[in-house]
Amino acid sequence: MATTKSEWIKFRTVRSSIMGVAVTVLLTIGLGVLITTLIRTHWSQLSAIRVATFDPVSSSLRGSLFAQFAVGVIGTLFITNEYTSGSIRTTLTAVPNRFRLIAAKCIVLLITTLILGEFVCFAAFLIGQRIYLGVVPTASIDSGTVLRSVILAGLYLALLAIFAFALGLILRQSAAAISVFVSLLLIVPIIGLFFPQSWQNDFTRFEPSTLGVSMQSPFAPSNSFGAWSATFILLAYVVATLMIAMALFQRRDAGPNQ
Amino acid sequence: MIKIDHLTKRYGDTLALDDLDFEVKPGVVTGFLGPNGSGKSTTMRIILGLDHPTGGRAIVNGHRYAELKDPVREVGALLDAKAVHPGRTARNHLRALAASNQIRRSRVDEVLDFVGIAAVANKKVGTYSLGMSQRLGIAGALLGDPGVLLFDEPVNGLDPEGIKWIREFFRALANEGRTVFVSSHLMSEMAVSVDEIIVIGRGRFITSGSVNDLTKNVGGTVLARASDLDKLSALVTSHHGVVHDANDEGITISGLTSDEVGRLAFDAGIAIFELTPQRASLEEVFMDLTADAVEYGSKKTDPARGQ
Repeated sequence: MATTKSEWIKFRTVRSSIMGVAVTVLLTIGLGVLITTLIRTHWSQLSAIRVATFDPVSSSLRGSLFAQFAVGVIGTLFITNEYTSGSIRTTLTAVPNRFRLIAAKCIVLLITTLILGEFVCFAAFLIGQRIYLGVVPTASIDSGTVLRSVILAGLYLALLAIFAFALGLILRQSAAAISVFVSLLLIVPIIGLFFPQSWQNDFTRFEPSTLGVSMQSPFAPSNSFGAWSATFILLAYVVATLMIAMALFQRRDAGPNQ
Repeated sequence: MIKIDHLTKRYGDTLALDDLDFEVKPGVVTGFLGPNGSGKSTTMRIILGLDHPTGGRAIVNGHRYAELKDPVREVGALLDAKAVHPGRTARNHLRALAASNQIRRSRVDEVLDFVGIAAVANKKVGTYSLGMSQRLGIAGALLGDPGVLLFDEPVNGLDPEGIKWIREFFRALANEGRTVFVSSHLMSEMAVSVDEIIVIGRGRFITSGSVNDLTKNVGGTVLARASDLDKLSALVTSHHGVVHDANDEGITISGLTSDEVGRLAFDAGIAIFELTPQRASLEEVFMDLTADAVEYGSKKTDPARGQ
């Protein structure tokens, strides 16, 4: 508890966290407004198929797929900042129990990014439906699947923050960790395009961003996992990465800057 | 009380610490002396549980550091003054540190005041000079009012007024019965600010003892002028002394005290014109001791170590 309190003080007293939160809000809500407004103005020109498969829920939450990079930076810097500044040594001197330290950091990161993620996703959804109103079909939060989609969209952001944190703990360098994080989300899907068609579907649906789309869709997109399956697969990625990071962290010296 | 128990640390092929074994007692200021790269910082990091030893262990107050419940309350450490997030203010840095070890918040202002940086406590640490960072590091070390204090090169970056302040401060901490362990590569600094010295070289224990003992026993020579220098030289050599710089003026003798030389001359009927003990400076002792760390390191029978 004391460690968690200390980590909370550390989290909120650096500018990178505050900037990351601001960018997450801006991207999710701002891009949500932009995308839903564009759909509203072009609605009459859309093809019949697009109209038939239109999903007012996930389309209003699309901004979160950009904000995932911002929460990734929040998560990464929360640990790599300690290594680049050398403050990891002060931190470990105060909390030599390394498991407790990482648990406290994860609790602080999970709670803040979950609150942040749910706030921006609910806001983007509600604003998006208001923009659609009268022209484009809208969805109601009263529906169980709609509510699930919005909640899981927020959870997706929080899980990615922890995933990025684990990568940061493994790599201990901001630039390296953020590069790997972005590559996994953007470059790996491109590599998938070079696979034969039959492999491609299997490959694509396991990608983190595809899982994110599944999580924020009321109905499972074609060739994708259902929302809950996608959530558990992503959770498995996060837990596995975190366990590798923790094992390395326990073994490594926190000595001079690498 | 710090006990270094046969500590060994290997980085790849490099042996950074080689069976290092010593104790740091409470109530005195103990200096930790060695050339750059001799393993001082590695030893301190292992004491603090930051690095894992390859063999042996470091014990603080009877426990391994990692086993201490609120370590900041038992051990205060200043390893690297710049090891603070540059974007955080000094006050927030100390508040986070206090919170992690359940130290009351008002203590933060007390230590800021004590080290003299209260006026800039709300400025980002990145804007601090090395001297100010050093003071913040000391504030962090004092935060938990610990009985054991470790300082790695604390004088670096301090102005003369700060150096005087820190010397008196170490003395005061030791007088309160605390264990104060201070590393430095500045031998002249050590001579005036510490009571006991532990010397290491190439990761090995070389010697330990009080500043007086070290300068007396290790590097001391005797300058002698006498009626029959050749005879005196032969006598000295036959009594396991070593004669250097023999010329018409006189001889320099090591390995024997001036008392012993005087008695030899008297017994042999040689008239002594001058007999001057020349005490080595700590700097010379240090150079002498670390010149060949391996040779001296294998000699582990120094009575000053209490073994």
